[in-house]
Amino acid sequence: MPWKLLLRNVLGHRLRSALTVLSVAVAVFLICVLHAVTSGLARTLDASAANRLLVQSAVSLYVDLPLSYQQKMAAVPGIEAICKWQWFGGRYEQDKGGFFAQFGIDADTFLRSYPEMSIAAGRYEDFAGQRTACIVGQQLADKYGWRVGQTVPITGTIFTRTDGRPWEFTVQAIYQSRSPSFDEQQMFFHYDYLHESLQQGGAVGPDGVGVYMLRLGPGTDPLAVQQAVDAMFENGPQRVQTTTEAEFNRQFITMLGDVPALLRMVGGAVLFAIFFAVLNTMIMAGRERTRDLGVLKALGFTDATAAGLLVGEALLLCGLGAALGGLLGLAIERPMQAVTAAFLPGFGFDGSTLLLGAGIALAVGVISGLVPGLRAARLTTVQALREVG
Amino acid sequence: MAAAIAIHSVTKTYHRGGESLRVLDDLELQMEAGTFYALMGPSGSGKTTLLNLVGGLDHADAGRVVVGDTDLTSLDGSELARWRAAHVGFVFQGFNLLPVLTARENVELPLLLAPLSKAQRREQAERALALVGLGDRMDHKPRELSGGQEQRVAIARAIATDPQVILADEPTGDLDRTTADAVLDLLQRLNRELNKTILMVTHDPQAAGFADQVIHLDKGKLGRIDRNERPAGARRV
Ligand SMILES: Nc1ncnc2c1ncn2[C@@H]1O[C@H](COP(=O)(O)OP(=O)(O)O)[C@@H](O)[C@H]1O
Ligand SMILES: [Mg+2]
Repeated sequence: MPWKLLLRNVLGHRLRSALTVLSVAVAVFLICVLHAVTSGLARTLDASAANRLLVQSAVSLYVDLPLSYQQKMAAVPGIEAICKWQWFGGRYEQDKGGFFAQFGIDADTFLRSYPEMSIAAGRYEDFAGQRTACIVGQQLADKYGWRVGQTVPITGTIFTRTDGRPWEFTVQAIYQSRSPSFDEQQMFFHYDYLHESLQQGGAVGPDGVGVYMLRLGPGTDPLAVQQAVDAMFENGPQRVQTTTEAEFNRQFITMLGDVPALLRMVGGAVLFAIFFAVLNTMIMAGRERTRDLGVLKALGFTDATAAGLLVGEALLLCGLGAALGGLLGLAIERPMQAVTAAFLPGFGFDGSTLLLGAGIALAVGVISGLVPGLRAARLTTVQALREVG
Repeated sequence: MAAAIAIHSVTKTYHRGGESLRVLDDLELQMEAGTFYALMGPSGSGKTTLLNLVGGLDHADAGRVVVGDTDLTSLDGSELARWRAAHVGFVFQGFNLLPVLTARENVELPLLLAPLSKAQRREQAERALALVGLGDRMDHKPRELSGGQEQRVAIARAIATDPQVILADEPTGDLDRTTADAVLDLLQRLNRELNKTILMVTHDPQAAGFADQVIHLDKGKLGRIDRNERPAGARRV
């Protein structure tokens, strides 16, 4: 195999080779990022706890459940703790375009039910002991520069105060999370504070519960609890749907449509485009080298060598592109994680992402090299030299 | 002397769109080893076709082509490739050097197919380039050379593996008179000093004058064969 010739052929068309390498790099980068998103979704679901169930209205996540359900569910055997989650949907005054989630929760069962949380600053007890306190994720605190003791104004959109002023929550603790299914960009405050404000006329809004989290005791069969809870409210007033945390997260993600399928489609389109770009380059290269290939055969080089020169060239271009795209992906992994933490805590490259990039480079390289390569193999010296005149 | 090249009742017909063209018609021809032949004839008379058969680049429809002690008609494609690598050197009208390689690398190319070390390849390529008078142009790319120099590199490439037979298809067709004479002189030296058998297609009578014998081909049939005098050194430029 005349390796030097292969290399010189690539270097002989510096601009075209560079552009091809760059477009492969961009494509591999894009496909790797898309894959990191879909596998991030999968990781988020995988990390969901098996011992937590979520109870929501059978109608929709947007319909509240009665507060009285908590008492009734507590009687179901195997449930160790119940924690309410109420979506607050508020807007932070200083926030420009950004968004983070706030929830009203039960402070006494919250921390115990989410062992993936740990307190990084302040004290959970201080949060639990103060009616208007809140606990926020580390990334959220970093993003806005919040410190323990600081008061954060949040304007309600679902729950508005009758005095027309924003709600004020005092940061008493900052948490970190060990699990990709529980992100560090959330704010939690006391459900009771919200409930009392609504009862006493300090605020207006729906007075119910969005979701009940049920933490199961060790050895409890989640299916039995699921069926028992669903059966309990079979005849109203509100029918419920009890799901595992993984199933709940999956439904939440697919509320936006089938994201993984969409991403796969985009990735497929990118792959298609890059395949034709490389194929075009290689067909051009094959045409230009018709005479060279004919001469090589006259000198005694085999048909396989003629084809190999073109396949090797395509592989070299694709390999360089894939390496570049992969490195680019690795370089943006951390900044991307910071951006996507709130909605996609599992985002990240892993072995399978890089393997995918390498596989694409290999496949595109081999096929786009073989198309002109097979022509090169069939070409005879006599044809080659007559064709060019 | 033994026949270096033997053509036995060779026929070659091209078919194109229903029409068939008999380019070589029951051709019978013997060439001796160590002789410089010129092959002349009008355009389209089958000269290139004959050269391609002798070089193992194409198959005859009928008859036998024997070069040295090898019957080319009995070899398949890859056997022919292997045979070409060791036994024959080609020189084309358009030089056909690979533009991305230097003169030395072009000459080394056929040596990649021989069982040689890197150092041996280099040494042999340099010797061939020195022989054609381009010892000082080895690292030049083809476009940095003149036409005559390019053709001399191509000749160095043809003799790099030390084949017995050199086939040249109008090697001076693209060169001016002076340059052409230098190239012809070089071919003549390869014949006289290294005893190569040379078959050179040309339609230039002056070029044919450098050969020992001139074979005339017309419409696929053998015409007369002229023998040139060989006054030693008379043709030196
Ligand atoms: N592959 C081919 N298909 C059809 N006709 C061909 C082919 N190759 C050569 N010919 C024809 O055969 C004839 C002889 O060609 P060639 O051997 O190149 O002649 P010369 O070299 O003497 O000019 C020409 O008429 C040419 O057009
Ligand atoms: Mg011709």
